[in-house]
Amino acid sequence: MTVHADDSGLLVRSAAGGDEAAWAALVQRFSGLVWSIARAHHLGTADAEEVFQTTWLRPPEHVSQLTEPERVGAWPATTARNESLKVIRLGTRTTVTDNPSILDQGSNQGTPEDAVIESEEGAARARRLRQVWSAFCRLPGRCQQLLRMLIASPPPSYADVAVMLDIAVGSIGPTRARCLQQLRTLLAEPDAAGSPARP
Amino acid sequence: MPDDDELERELKSAEQLLDPIPLRLLRDAMDIFGWRTIDAELAELVFDSADTQAAELVRGSGQPRLLTFQASDLSIELELTAGGPERRIAGRLVPARPADVEIRYGGLQRTVTTDELGRFSVTLPGSGPVSLRCRPVGSTASWQVVTDWISG
Repeated sequence: MTVHADDSGLLVRSAAGGDEAAWAALVQRFSGLVWSIARAHHLGTADAEEVFQTTWLRPPEHVSQLTEPERVGAWPATTARNESLKVIRLGTRTTVTDNPSILDQGSNQGTPEDAVIESEEGAARARRLRQVWSAFCRLPGRCQQLLRMLIASPPPSYADVAVMLDIAVGSIGPTRARCLQQLRTLLAEPDAAGSPARP
Repeated sequence: MPDDDELERELKSAEQLLDPIPLRLLRDAMDIFGWRTIDAELAELVFDSADTQAAELVRGSGQPRLLTFQASDLSIELELTAGGPERRIAGRLVPARPADVEIRYGGLQRTVTTDELGRFSVTLPGSGPVSLRCRPVGSTASWQVVTDWISG
């Protein structure tokens, strides 16, 4: 079932009314984005999981009371961002690191990476993707937050991104371009092995 | 070097490979629907010391986090102290009245009865979001007031 992105507000209201299928659709649609936002705030696994749980535990009926109707669809990501900032103010439980994903790789057994590496071509691709990700994790926090929202499936609208990051809609395009250029610069620098990332 | 769209696509593939959402979390989020408290009035979070921009709280430092929840005729004040493997939640109902308070954490719950002044204190293991709900002492009717979930 494909639900148009504009129906997010409808899904939230339906879930608030007790519609479990609407809830499942919301979870499917926004969970990746909620996770991405928590991780883009440099939260370790334990803190990111807590932000994820707290976001989804916030009752949808509470959301409709507090948010303007047209912004109801941005609720999961906005909540994730606010909860992430709270965790940062409270002091993170795990060590803040520039590259949380590399450190936490051991906790994901049987990752998709294992399947990709099976072929020689796959090994080269995995190496490239690790270089891209390693460079990405060295970007400033704001760039990471913006880019992780833009690559989410499905991607939020620019209007929702503007609300979530509290920036002007018109600045999203130029900021994206600037952040991607910074990423290119980091990729051209020597990686941990001492050689620049191959294009 | 790839153009912007191509680089973004690579980034997306890298994210899926190296930092995907743990599947367990997705399943948990689906289950959460059954945790919701229907019928009870939702007490809104009206004060959270963790919202202060200049907050110098450090989790585990022993300094408490202060929260206030507001329902139509009741507010619940909480003091959350995290330190090590446990956390302590001290609270009181305003206006003061005795009540049964259930603290939900993870899939577990613990019920305490407040004193005559509506005060209580519990120590919980572990970490993670908590929510409280309350009703008159000894009542078996549905919960009257429930708080938002808060990170522990």
